[in-house]
Amino acid sequence: MSLFGTSAGFGTGGTGVFGSTTTDSHNPMKDVEVTSPPDDSISCLAFSPPTMPGNFLIGGSWANDVRCWEVQDNGQTVPKAQQMHTGPVLDACWSDDGSKVFTASCDKTAKMWDLNSNQAMQIAQHDGPIKAIHWIKAPNYSCVMTGSWDKTLKFWDTRSPNPMMSLPMPERCYCADVVYPMAVVATAERGLIVYQLENQPSEFRRIDSPLKHQHRCVAIFKDKQNKPTGFALGSIEGRVAIHYINPPNPAKDNFTFKCHRSNGTNTTTPQDIYAVNAISFHPVHGTLATVGSDGRFSFWDKDARTKLKTSEQLDQPITACCFNHNGNIFAYASSYDWSKGHEYYNPQKKNYIFLRSAAEELKPRNKK
Amino acid sequence: MGRKKKKQMKPWCWYCNRDFDDEKILIQHQKAKHFKCHICHKKLYTGPGLAIHCMQVHKETIDSVPNAIPGRTDIELEIYGMEGIPEKDMQERRRTLEQKSQESQKKKSNNQDDSDEDDDDDEAGPSAQQVVSVQPQTGYATPMAQPGMPPVAGAPAMPPGGYQGMPPMMPGVPHMMHGMPPAMHGMPPGMMPMGGMMPPMMPGMPGIPPGMPPHMAPRPGMPHMAPAPAAGAIPSRQAAPAAQPTVTKPLFPSAAQAQQSASGAPASNSHSTAASSDPPKATFPAYTQPSVSSSSSTSSSSNPSSSTVAKPPATVTSKPATLTTTSATSKLIHPDEDISLEEMKAQLPRYQRLIPRAGQAHAAAPSVAAVGSMMPPQQGMPPQQPGMRHPMHGQYGAPPQGMPGYMPGGMPPYGQGPPMVPPYQGGPPMGMRPPVMSPAGRY
Repeated sequence: MSLFGTSAGFGTGGTGVFGSTTTDSHNPMKDVEVTSPPDDSISCLAFSPPTMPGNFLIGGSWANDVRCWEVQDNGQTVPKAQQMHTGPVLDACWSDDGSKVFTASCDKTAKMWDLNSNQAMQIAQHDGPIKAIHWIKAPNYSCVMTGSWDKTLKFWDTRSPNPMMSLPMPERCYCADVVYPMAVVATAERGLIVYQLENQPSEFRRIDSPLKHQHRCVAIFKDKQNKPTGFALGSIEGRVAIHYINPPNPAKDNFTFKCHRSNGTNTTTPQDIYAVNAISFHPVHGTLATVGSDGRFSFWDKDARTKLKTSEQLDQPITACCFNHNGNIFAYASSYDWSKGHEYYNPQKKNYIFLRSAAEELKPRNKK
Repeated sequence: MGRKKKKQMKPWCWYCNRDFDDEKILIQHQKAKHFKCHICHKKLYTGPGLAIHCMQVHKETIDSVPNAIPGRTDIELEIYGMEGIPEKDMQERRRTLEQKSQESQKKKSNNQDDSDEDDDDDEAGPSAQQVVSVQPQTGYATPMAQPGMPPVAGAPAMPPGGYQGMPPMMPGVPHMMHGMPPAMHGMPPGMMPMGGMMPPMMPGMPGIPPGMPPHMAPRPGMPHMAPAPAAGAIPSRQAAPAAQPTVTKPLFPSAAQAQQSASGAPASNSHSTAASSDPPKATFPAYTQPSVSSSSSTSSSSNPSSSTVAKPPATVTSKPATLTTTSATSKLIHPDEDISLEEMKAQLPRYQRLIPRAGQAHAAAPSVAAVGSMMPPQQGMPPQQPGMRHPMHGQYGAPPQGMPGYMPGGMPPYGQGPPMVPPYQGGPPMGMRPPVMSPAGRY
């Protein structure tokens, strides 16, 4: 379905809602601005699954809220609802049927938000902030997986206050991704664990990190048969590793690439290396998008090992990104990620979420 | 893949001394890094070709090959892949590699990180992570015990038990074994000879000697992972490009979990060997550890990652003059502490206020209001920016039940979880929140 069918709603630089906006560096790509963005840094974005008609976007922020917008075909965004936690929201995800949103927060709880009734109830409790939350839909069970800074990975049946299962991790959970039957968790101290989710979740393998710096984001990709086969792992050192679980030739198949760095060709000045804040795979093309602290997003084709596009530089880091279920929309959030410490935090600076038409730019490059 | 004679069987780049799996990749590398026009990015085939192109097309002269190490920048030398390399450089390379293979992984610290993959956006280099990296720290006791032993490389394999890879290298090993405990005590004195041995061992690796001492440090509790990685590392080291130490294949479970934990190896940037670096760092601070750990470690809290110094290039032991493909310094835009950005931000008082369980509506309510203001008192900002930030509660309060877009079907029962039906839906908190908010109409 074409999201931005007419040019009316799209490409006008998001001027619609907030009156006239100049083309300053807050939106150099002239993408559509989502209306009523959160008041503090956006930690996560997620689009509704294909089981629901239409596109709904949820975004969690450090303002303790999770907001939901409807994204219409003409590009207009309509705020629909929001829920609150008592601490910053770090992650959010949808259930497979699109009726619930699960949110994870620094207040050590996770909530299940029923969108129809706009009620949210707590479904999980940890001893530390919950950094990652994912919905698992297996043939014989369904549950919510939460990864926390308390070094545990817990699985919750939403009806019970006690977890169905709790797996210890070597370190604090920094990021995770789930594509049934595989789950990957990256922890502090460069830990990397793969879980298999069939029958019940269990640790499958601990992997030596392909990266030498702190892990920051991870995203699973699938093979041509739509089965999860590997993951992309991003670090704070402007680098992403593409890692296959069982490749025929690990030395050749696994690789890393640098990204989100300044001074591409100019070698005289020191290069600034930025963290990769999020990675998302296009659901149809299998190409990936990375967003970084440098305020740019880039699209890559991991099979052709080429870069497809890099955006202009926004004036703030890009902290989150996601594709909608059919890959027509790419959403990314512009807000401060603390990469330069406390001094550069300006609470008055606006936070944005932008939407971009993603059908064309993420087409794979033909292999040479 | 077992590699014995790297220079003959393993192609390497004359301009920057990097190793490659095959010549095709080597040529791709040269075209992308050394024969690429900096003006128009056209990839030429040779150095002279690049020079001619720049002259004819851009009217610019270039006098040195881009990204080449000093001494190898001659633009007029016609080198393509492995062809055209001057014989004396070949011999020097052969010698260097022989020495390298004798010393095994201890030396691998030099070539790290940035050189591991092709940086360009269009190319990805071979993953340097594949190869097992040796735990340099292991087996240092042995060198101590054998001042006369030329092959320093044998040291890693020394630990009692597994010498799989070692025998060819350390004929005197068994004797060493017994002598190890006493040797350990005598480590410091024993280290001197080792230190002296190092330099002659590694003419090609100027960076290594500084890295050696930390490994030499006496290890009363010799981690038992030592034998495994050491033994396993040595043969596998052959497989890796000499400059690119990579992941250790743990042979022992303890190694496995150790691997998860640490990051920077003391003497090398090798990621996987980080595991073994942790114990040494704790026990042997006296040696060069500080210089090594400060530069290379990114994980341990005692070694905060430097935000101003490039991690790989900055390490004492890494990056001998031969290696850097990019500029010498780079800057990691990240605060010093090696915790995640979210953890740093969460430490701020304004985000800590609301940690009490959300179940306490009363407690939560006022704090929600406080949060709603968004601006902690310390910042001295008005609670909200009128006109700019809308809490949007008005809108949200309206359609709590009217979500036409959501399919009501299949809603599982909420169950009897903790009674968390918070007032957050919109009414009460909204009332508290926006004293200063003047929602400007629709927006």
